[in-house]
Amino acid sequence: MNEPTQTIYVVDDDEAMRDSMTWLLEGEGYRVSCFESAEAFLQARHDAMRGCLVLDVRMPEMSGLELHERLDALGSQLPIIFVTGHGDVPMAVAALQRGACDFIEKPFHNEDLLGRIHRALELDAQLADRRQRDGAIAHRLEQLTQREREVMNLVVAGKLNKQIADELDISMKTVEAHRARVMEKMGVRTLAELVKAVMSVS
Amino acid sequence: MARLRQRAKNVGMLSRVPAPPPRQPWLWFAPYVAIGVFALAMLIVTALLQWRELDTARSALEGDMHWAERTIENRLHSHLDFLGELGREQEFKQLTYETYQVKASRYVRENPEIQAIIWVDTEGKVEWVAPNESTATFVGEQLAGERMAALQEALRIRRELVSADYRDTTQRPMHDIILPVQRGSADLGAFIALQSLEGLLRATLPAVFTARYSLTLVDAKEREVLSNTSVKPTDRQVSGSISIDLPSNQLGLNIVAYRGGGAWLPFLPVTLIIVLTLIATVTLIQLRRHASRRAETEEELRSAYAFRQAMSNSLITGMRAIDLEGRITFVNAAFCRMTGFEESELLGIKPPYPYWPPEEFDQLQHNIDTALAGRAPASGYEMRIMRKNGERFDVRLYFSPLIDAHGQQIGWMASMNDITEPKRVRVELERAHERFTTVIDGLDTAVHVTDVHSGEILFANRAFQNIFGFDCIGRDSAQVTAACRPHSEWLHHDPATLPAEALPCELFDGEIQHTLSGHWYHLHERAIRWVDGRTVRVQIAADITDRKRIEEVNQQQQKRLEQTSRLITMGEMASSLAHELNQPLSAIANYCAGCVKRMQSGNYKLDDLLAAMQKASDQAERAGKIIRRMRDMVKKGDPNRQPVALPELIDETRAFADIEAQRTGTQLIVDLPAELPRIVVDRIMIEQVLLNLVRNAIEAMSDVPVERRQLRLAAHVVDDRLLQVSVIDNGHGLDDDDIERIFAPFYTTKPEGMGIGLAICRSIIEFHQGRLWVEPRREGGTIFHFTVPIEENSGEDHE
Repeated sequence: MNEPTQTIYVVDDDEAMRDSMTWLLEGEGYRVSCFESAEAFLQARHDAMRGCLVLDVRMPEMSGLELHERLDALGSQLPIIFVTGHGDVPMAVAALQRGACDFIEKPFHNEDLLGRIHRALELDAQLADRRQRDGAIAHRLEQLTQREREVMNLVVAGKLNKQIADELDISMKTVEAHRARVMEKMGVRTLAELVKAVMSVS
Repeated sequence: MARLRQRAKNVGMLSRVPAPPPRQPWLWFAPYVAIGVFALAMLIVTALLQWRELDTARSALEGDMHWAERTIENRLHSHLDFLGELGREQEFKQLTYETYQVKASRYVRENPEIQAIIWVDTEGKVEWVAPNESTATFVGEQLAGERMAALQEALRIRRELVSADYRDTTQRPMHDIILPVQRGSADLGAFIALQSLEGLLRATLPAVFTARYSLTLVDAKEREVLSNTSVKPTDRQVSGSISIDLPSNQLGLNIVAYRGGGAWLPFLPVTLIIVLTLIATVTLIQLRRHASRRAETEEELRSAYAFRQAMSNSLITGMRAIDLEGRITFVNAAFCRMTGFEESELLGIKPPYPYWPPEEFDQLQHNIDTALAGRAPASGYEMRIMRKNGERFDVRLYFSPLIDAHGQQIGWMASMNDITEPKRVRVELERAHERFTTVIDGLDTAVHVTDVHSGEILFANRAFQNIFGFDCIGRDSAQVTAACRPHSEWLHHDPATLPAEALPCELFDGEIQHTLSGHWYHLHERAIRWVDGRTVRVQIAADITDRKRIEEVNQQQQKRLEQTSRLITMGEMASSLAHELNQPLSAIANYCAGCVKRMQSGNYKLDDLLAAMQKASDQAERAGKIIRRMRDMVKKGDPNRQPVALPELIDETRAFADIEAQRTGTQLIVDLPAELPRIVVDRIMIEQVLLNLVRNAIEAMSDVPVERRQLRLAAHVVDDRLLQVSVIDNGHGLDDDDIERIFAPFYTTKPEGMGIGLAICRSIIEFHQGRLWVEPRREGGTIFHFTVPIEENSGEDHE
């Protein structure tokens, strides 16, 4: 069920932790890659990375949360599982609110960790699918003219043709023509499909 | 009245001291010189007069002598002529005995100095004697001796001759005038006139002459023959001698003038002059002595004057003399100074005086009236008078009668003291004493003073009396304070044997419980010199019962705080420790789970499993170490001070501190000198302090960029007793307020802090006789320093 391109990236300053994680996860058949610091991971990171990130919150120099922020800024969509020690719960909650994937508190049960890794990997797979689909719609949108895009936005906003014509100061016929071309270019047949496609990318 | 004015003038003149007369010692010699010159002149004049007198006497003498010489010679020549007449008649045999008898007798009668005229033959036998009745010789008498020799000589030379003198039967000096008679060449005999020398003088010289002069006849051999006086004149100054030239006989007649009035007469003027001169000199000396005594007295008087004047001027007491009517006759300088009036403005003025303030007129008039009546009180008058400028001041005036040299009262002397200042001082003194009493009595500390020898309580303030009774002054301190008294052995010194130069000296400083009331007092006792010079003990006892109670409570609280702090520290540490423990525990769990999974799946290599299990076991050991460290930290017995090396201590502290440091990304630098002596401390306590300071430092740096989060631990040896450890951070630093209060319990700059960490740290360091303090760092941040004792013989133990 694991997609072969997915890797679990472990970032932890404690050597024993990295080693034991590797031992555990490889036993489950995952591909594991370890980094001893956030900086080391940042250096190695690239956009094509697939899988998930198991990140220790407490680390000297750059902490796990800081790394999270940096990754966000870079537009990374890699799911992150924070590993926290005792007393770091509020911090982990904050991290989740910022869009982290999951967190797990040490000491953790290995099944628990594995379950979360599994979910993270699934999420990663979905995200990868969506990224693909969004890429197609975006391509279609780019083919619209300026006037067609304006008409489309007003259509999606639920305006009637007459209202659109008044707003853009064009004739009803022109609106209808633009509308037909938009539907054609976007590859949809109904208004509902158009709305769905536009919403998915915006 | 004129007399009084004169007196006033005299008194006024007292202010001018007469200048001493110029000294002219030569003046004193003038009278002596004058007396000397006068005496000398008188003596010279006298001598001149005497000399002239003598001269006159001498010339008179000479005249008289010449006259006498001529007279005597004439007489003798007349005798010789008569004898020559007789001889010629005899020669020519014209002379008969009867003729001879008549002629000769008549001649003898006319010339009484001739005793007789005799005719002797050539053999010296008396043949005729005239006059008959003469007793000088007898017919038939044979001449003998010198007379015979003279006769023979006369016969031989055939000339007249005067024999040497001889004594007749009545022992009167006589001499013979011999005239030899020859006829042809044959000698017939000789006529001899027996002449008495005495008669000669008497007959020839008048009585006046003999009375004036002392006459002496001397023979040719300078033998004295006859003198008309029995007393020989001693002064031969006025004398002369004449030689009566007689044939064959030199009869010298010496004539010496008599001194009229005695021999002393010429000396009388000289003596008188000398005596008078002496008297004058003695008088002069006496006069001079008197004068010099007078000068001395004057000098004494002058200095006495000057002294009195100086005294009067230097007096700060104003002196004023008034006569019996109240008129001012004298004021001294002080009086003028006090009143501001000139002396000339006051002298001669009758009451009311110008320095009387108008409002006091009646009182002052009454005073002066009673004073003039002699009823002035012995204590004087206290009154208010006025300066010239109108300023009023208080004086005290004493009256005493003024008696002159004759014992008569001529007025009243008043002495005036300005009592404004003494009055002010007295009031001030009273107030000061009142303040002192108020302050001393207002103290809640008990103060009392005890004589060290008698133990008598000399002074006690109200607080003391409140404790030991209000009748305690004068009683024996040992009895009064028996319930709360330092034992004599506790005193630093025995106060009774302290030498005076050792004062003041501390005797006791300590806390004592009152055995009856149970109150605690802090007693501070000193030996000092009391106001009258004796040695006393001053004891200050402060009631410290409340403080003592608070201290006890504080101590208990401190203990509790310490424990609480430790627990809180542990609590704060817990999350770090949990994280630390989580690492090995999670690792172990991972290894185990990995092994289980592989074994379940059957897809494993034994070596891999063994390696994983080994790693798990290592992690278990790591967890165990953490637990042990934690247990050490919590376990707290009595302080156990032992020599320990500081680096060791720091290492152990780091085991905890590093967790926190790693978490926050703080760089912990330990910067210790290579060789440090060992310190004697309770290891756990000092670790706790170090950990606390390190944790504070880390927290202080939470706001600074990670790269600046540097914490430095340094140490250096202060001296042979102390080692100083410093914890230096780069944090936000402390403001002045914080620095002052940071060690106070329950003061904190941290939002979650309890504010007891540093307070306890300080107690711990002070427990080690060290000091904990903080100072800001110039570059920003804070430095905490503390000192701990060094092992005493560390030099030997330390390699």
